[in-house]
Amino acid sequence: MPQMTGRIVDGAMSGFGNPGLGLEIIYSFVIIICSLMIYFGTKELYQLSSHKGINYFRRAFLFFAIAYFFRNFIKFILFYFNIARIIEISPKTAGILLGHTTLFIFVYFSSMAIFYLLYSVMWKRWNNSNKVYLFHILAVIISFISILFPSPFIHLTINLGLLVLVIIIVYISRKNQKKNKSKLYFIYLLLMIFWILNVLDILVPEFLRTYQIIIYLASIGIFLLILYKVLKKVGN
Amino acid sequence: MKRGRLEIIKDILKIIQDNHNSIKITPLIRKSNISSNRFKEYYLEIISKQFIKEIRGKSGEKLISITEKGTKFLEKYSTIIGFLEEFDL
Repeated sequence: MPQMTGRIVDGAMSGFGNPGLGLEIIYSFVIIICSLMIYFGTKELYQLSSHKGINYFRRAFLFFAIAYFFRNFIKFILFYFNIARIIEISPKTAGILLGHTTLFIFVYFSSMAIFYLLYSVMWKRWNNSNKVYLFHILAVIISFISILFPSPFIHLTINLGLLVLVIIIVYISRKNQKKNKSKLYFIYLLLMIFWILNVLDILVPEFLRTYQIIIYLASIGIFLLILYKVLKKVGN
Repeated sequence: MKRGRLEIIKDILKIIQDNHNSIKITPLIRKSNISSNRFKEYYLEIISKQFIKEIRGKSGEKLISITEKGTKFLEKYSTIIGFLEEFDL
C-alpha cells in the first residue's frame, strides 16, 4: 500500500473514532430531516395554490437540506484527510478539488436558503418583480470569494455584511407594514444568526469551537420550532 | 376589500359547488362578481389546474363542473390561508 493511501486511511480511522464526527452526523441528520419534512409537508399546499410565497418558502428549506448535506460532507473530508480546515488544503493533496467544490456548493446553497427565506416574505412588497436571479448572482459571488480568499476575516466580514443587509431589508419592510406584523421575523432572524455561526464553524472552525454544542442545540431548536409551526398549520 | 387570487378561485369553485356542481358559463361570470376579462384569466388557470371541467348537459349545453382536485382545493383553502398568514408569505 502506498504511503499516501496509508496516511489517508489513518486519518479516516481517527476521524471515525472522534466523537465530534458522530455529533456532527446526528446534528446534520436532524436538520436535514426537519428541512425535508417542511419541504414535503407543504408540497400539497403549493400544488393546490401555486402560491409564489409558498414556493420560495419550500425552496429555502430544500436548500437548507442540501447545504447541510454538503456541510456534513465537508466535515467528513476534514476528518478523512486529517486536516484542520478545507481552506488550508495544500494544492498537492487529493482533497483540493473535492474540498473546494464541496465548499462552493455549501456556501452557494446556504446563501440561497437564506435569500429564499427572505424572498418568501418580501416578494409581495417588491411589486412582484422577480429578483431571485440577483440573489443567485450574489450567492455565486459569495461562494467564489469563500474559495479564492481563504481568510477568516473576509468570511467574517461577508457573513456579518449579509446579516446587516437582511436586518435592514426586514426592518424597512416591517416599518412600512401597518398591520399584521408577524412574530416569525424574530425566528427568521435567529435562524439567520445561527446559520451564519454554522457557516463560520465550517470556514473558521477555531473561531467557535468552545460554543459549538450550544450553536448546534440552538439551531436544532429553531428548526424544530419552524417544523412544529408548519405541521400545526398543514395538519399532517 | 379587494379579493386576492386564491379567494377569487375559491369563490368561483364555491359557486359551482353550490349550484349542484354544474353551472352555465354566463351565470358563473355574473355570480363571480368580476369582469369578464379577469374571469377569463382565472377560468383558464383553474381549468389548466384541473379544478374544473367542461361537461355537456342533457340538452347538449356546455356546463362547468368542479373536479375532485377542485373539491380538494376548497377543503384545503382555509389551511392554505392560515399557512400564508402564519408565515407572512
